[in-house]
Amino acid sequence: MTRRLVHTAGLLVFALWTGLPFYWIVVTAIKPNLLIYREPSLFPSQITGEHFAFVLGQTPFLLYVKNSVAITFVTTTLAMVIGTLAAYAIARMTFAGRKWVARGVVVTYLVPASILFIPMFQVIYSLGLIDNIVGLMVVYLTFTVPFATWMMLGYFRNVPIELEDAALVDGCSRLQALVRIMIPIALPALAVVALFAFTLSWNEFLYALVFIGSDSQKPLTLGLIGLVRGDTFPWGPMMAASLLGALPPTLVYVVSQRWVVSGLAAGSVKG
Amino acid sequence: MAVQTKDALVGARPAAAPASGISPRRVLGRDWAAAWLFLAPCMLVIVGLIAYPFFSAIVLSFEAKLVGSPATWVGFDNYVQLLTGRDLSEQFWQALRVTVSFTIVAIAAKLVLGMSMALLLNEPFAGRNAVRAFFFLPWAVPTLIAGLTWKWMYDGSQVGLLNLLIIRFGLSNDLVQWLGNYNLALWAVVVAVVWTSTPFFSMMLLAGLQAIPGELYEAAKIDGAGVFGRFRHVTLPSLTNIIVITTLLSTIWTATSINLVYVLTGGGPANATMTVPLLSYEIGVAGAQRLGMGATISLVFFPVFLVMIVFLTRRMLAEERSG
Repeated sequence: MTRRLVHTAGLLVFALWTGLPFYWIVVTAIKPNLLIYREPSLFPSQITGEHFAFVLGQTPFLLYVKNSVAITFVTTTLAMVIGTLAAYAIARMTFAGRKWVARGVVVTYLVPASILFIPMFQVIYSLGLIDNIVGLMVVYLTFTVPFATWMMLGYFRNVPIELEDAALVDGCSRLQALVRIMIPIALPALAVVALFAFTLSWNEFLYALVFIGSDSQKPLTLGLIGLVRGDTFPWGPMMAASLLGALPPTLVYVVSQRWVVSGLAAGSVKG
Repeated sequence: MAVQTKDALVGARPAAAPASGISPRRVLGRDWAAAWLFLAPCMLVIVGLIAYPFFSAIVLSFEAKLVGSPATWVGFDNYVQLLTGRDLSEQFWQALRVTVSFTIVAIAAKLVLGMSMALLLNEPFAGRNAVRAFFFLPWAVPTLIAGLTWKWMYDGSQVGLLNLLIIRFGLSNDLVQWLGNYNLALWAVVVAVVWTSTPFFSMMLLAGLQAIPGELYEAAKIDGAGVFGRFRHVTLPSLTNIIVITTLLSTIWTATSINLVYVLTGGGPANATMTVPLLSYEIGVAGAQRLGMGATISLVFFPVFLVMIVFLTRRMLAEERSG
């Protein structure tokens, strides 16, 4: 009985802790300015769509979204292809240095961006991709590719080798074996990879901050900061924009949360 | 027809004839050609976009280089200046103290809260899946957006949520400057950090809890172990590996992350929340654009992380083999 009580109380405390910031984003986004600043209220008596209208109509918000979608789409697709090919080679082929390649993948996955962003500036500069979303598509491969490879490797290793041997004996090439046998089996793992690559790219901020200056090239996270005018934060529009910007990764997460949890445990994804 | 062809993609048949003498196959492995073809794009990313920048960061740290001008080799000058020089060393050691205490407190809090959350979620109750999805939600929110939200909740006037609550519940009449108070700001940042990344700990620990066989608990119960006894003697030992991996991963990410502190305080007030990675951003990119010194700041404690990375790599690959 007391156990039940402690359990429920614990859940309530965590619900409050988790929910409070979400509540405040939503409530601020739909309150008129009067109830945000002049007579601040916890439970608004009036709601309005003016902040959303402002964000969508008066700011380049939709442009930022478009950039984020483009960056995320390209990076995620490339990471899936590159990671799958590499993982297949490491899991299934015999070649000198295989172990070192596997180690290299994990090590590079763990090297923090805070060490890479300064020299990366020079790399991107010499490629002529500063202030260009293409530069971000390239740089985001640094965290999506090692992760995708590592994730697919774990999955491929657990696929029985007999399935593929049969295909190889039947005269399939390695590439055919991968595409026809392994990929259909590994679809759930590919979904997890896509999910994480999408979330990590959508949420990235540091590289965007360092490499991008023009409004026309900003992804959503960087664009949000740009809504600040001088030192004033227009909180209504900012929270409306935050709500919209957080929606894609949250929705994707809610829809596929069972996979997220298992994938996270298997691949130790950034948190 | 493909059976006879022996090009790179088709070859690598398990029954390949034993190579005689020193052939590439013998030295480089049976599937070397196909393997490196498959690995090529991945290697391009790893070598070109991670290893090369990493080593050029090391070279940069021995150079004086401003953005847009040529570099001059200065040997250990940057390191000496940073650790003992007049203009930077004080700020650097302060940043290091901030980073260490920030990381230790944040990790400890994440571990305790993450474990409690995982234990609560491991008990069966109605609506458990929905509650679990909700508790893990902060993980999916972009850190930057979480940062903006907390900044808004911490607002120092009466319109900030926390001050609003304090006044509403009559806890105090004074407004608290959460992010403006020198002694408070760092802990306010820690709270936001803990909020965003506790779900990572919970997810990892919950997965571990679910893998513990129920018989272990039954046996402990029969032996007369209470709730705490079972936690100490069954749960904790079974989770050791996960706790170590999760803690190390999170330590690397927490100690090197910039986003939250950048948004919340920008390092202020008076450097109270200036962490080492943020300092390297400020010196290397934002302000004076001293790329060389910026690289030095980010690298000076890299050996500590390197030890963690090597240890983690071994653990993660070992798990792979046994799992």
